[in-house]
Amino acid sequence: MNPVLTAEGLTLGYGADPVVEGLDLTVSEGEFTVVVGPNGCGKSTLLKALGRVNRPVAGRVLLHGTDIRAQRAKAVARALALLPQSPVAPEGITVRALAARGRFPYHTLLRQWSPEDEAAVDRALELTGTAELADAHVGALSGGQRQRAWVAMVLAQDTGVVLLDEPTTYLDIAHQYELLELFAGLHRAGRTVVAVLHDLAQAARYATRLVLMHGGRVVADGSPGEVLTSERMGEVFGLACDVVPDPRTGTPLVIPHERS
Amino acid sequence: MNPDRLPSRPPARRRPPVLRLGPVALPVGPRSLLWCALTLAAVAGAAVATLALGDLGISPARIPAVVAGAGEGTEAFVFDRLRGPRLAVALGAGAALGLSGALFQSVTRNPLGSPDVIGLGAGAGAGAAFVALVLPGTVPVPLGALAGAFLAMLVVYTATGTGLRHPGRLIVAGIGVAAMAQAFTHFVVSVMARDQAGVLSAYINGSLNARSWEHAAIVWAAVSAAVPLLLYLSGPVAVNEMGDELADALGAAAGRTRTLAVVLSVLLSAAAVAVAGPIAFVALTAPQIARRLSGAPGPNLALSALVGALLLVAADLAVQHLPIGEGLPVGIFTLAFGGVYLGYLLVREWRKGVL
Repeated sequence: MNPVLTAEGLTLGYGADPVVEGLDLTVSEGEFTVVVGPNGCGKSTLLKALGRVNRPVAGRVLLHGTDIRAQRAKAVARALALLPQSPVAPEGITVRALAARGRFPYHTLLRQWSPEDEAAVDRALELTGTAELADAHVGALSGGQRQRAWVAMVLAQDTGVVLLDEPTTYLDIAHQYELLELFAGLHRAGRTVVAVLHDLAQAARYATRLVLMHGGRVVADGSPGEVLTSERMGEVFGLACDVVPDPRTGTPLVIPHERS
Repeated sequence: MNPDRLPSRPPARRRPPVLRLGPVALPVGPRSLLWCALTLAAVAGAAVATLALGDLGISPARIPAVVAGAGEGTEAFVFDRLRGPRLAVALGAGAALGLSGALFQSVTRNPLGSPDVIGLGAGAGAGAAFVALVLPGTVPVPLGALAGAFLAMLVVYTATGTGLRHPGRLIVAGIGVAAMAQAFTHFVVSVMARDQAGVLSAYINGSLNARSWEHAAIVWAAVSAAVPLLLYLSGPVAVNEMGDELADALGAAAGRTRTLAVVLSVLLSAAAVAVAGPIAFVALTAPQIARRLSGAPGPNLALSALVGALLLVAADLAVQHLPIGEGLPVGIFTLAFGGVYLGYLLVREWRKGVL
């Protein structure tokens, strides 16, 4: 497997108490990696560092073998896209205009729009099922539609790697699965996807590889079945539970014990 | 094709609007272009009216010849000494204020994050007054305005404790900075020019009375120098509106973009204040009007500049020809109308829970 994104000895955060310390991780081409872990374990911080948003205190991130900080920001943004947790939709922007913002890394001073931009935006709207909403204002959309519009923006960036920071938060269960199916489709179509998710059942169901973080370190890394064991749930989350196979997919499902 | 067979198809997709000029391709909508053209026409109309109205007015038929330098007698005098420089300063300062406001509001992601609301204009006015009255002839007035504007900006930035992020804090800090700057201006003017109410008003509110071609040259040089930078910044500034993380992820370097935009905004405001005084609320209202006209997100730089020029020329026309007091500084007029708009914005933002 071709390594796409590599973290080497990554330390993130400030001062004496870093959020992430000495972390090594390699994401290979075509993986759907899901990063899970308790609140404050550093998973979002790690994702931002992988996306060139956070500057590491120590260590480095390699994208296709080259330090991400040694490459031009726009060149990185043509290979790697990041959807942060709470992006801001500019007032009065339409879905199409929002998706078009994803083309920024391809623009130059005088050439700020091209037929390729056009085609990429059309494809992104198509893939996310937002083509019918293209002229709607983002502010007027439902939560699920709005999140799909943001995903359209990220897809318009037309990158091989897509990083998603808790993309299903605040959505109802139907919209959560709708989005996860969309990400699974992107993965099947050949994109490398790295997502931070809170819901372990969803993570186990869609990930080809699960990375479990705790206290700024990776404590388990492998297939969902290898990573999600009841012992680890106890160690990492302090949760007594059984792990049973999902009746539909056979992926691990965490069933907490009641506290008596 | 039989339309009955296509009931569930989505409506024909509208192409994103693009302005193409040779190798240049900019995403500018037809609605923006239309309003730019209409505003430009209105600016031209107001400019002609400025030159033509009143007792000393140049007949509209003669204006092209007079502007070209073929004027004679009174009309040449009126153009060269009285109305020409005044008009040129109004156009340049209005455009500079419109651009300055558009940049600052876009960077702070809030209409209230405007140079005139946060005390930048007042700071520039204090700097200009100090240099013009206390150190006459030693330091150029524009430098004084620039120093004052940067100082005000710096105080606001540190006083909020959160930089430019929180609009509520920006406004409160801005009120304080503006009050201090105006007190300083009052002090300087009453010590140095105690008998001249007109001078005080010009430094506190801004005025276009008795402008010269040098004033026009200063503000137009600033606006022209800003154009390439504005072209460069228009893309990153628009992307920055979506939040720092996303801007960084898109390769737009959020921090650098913000710094550049703020510095350019301060420069443009200072240039306008240096030649016309701290004229209030053009920087606040022009970008807001431009946004509503174009219906487009982003900073709407070109339209903001045009609307700013139109507002200032129209306001100046009004103070010159409405029976509300001859020689009234234009800044008092914009203050009165802009204040109402600021009130409206404050209420709206408060209801939205932003403040």
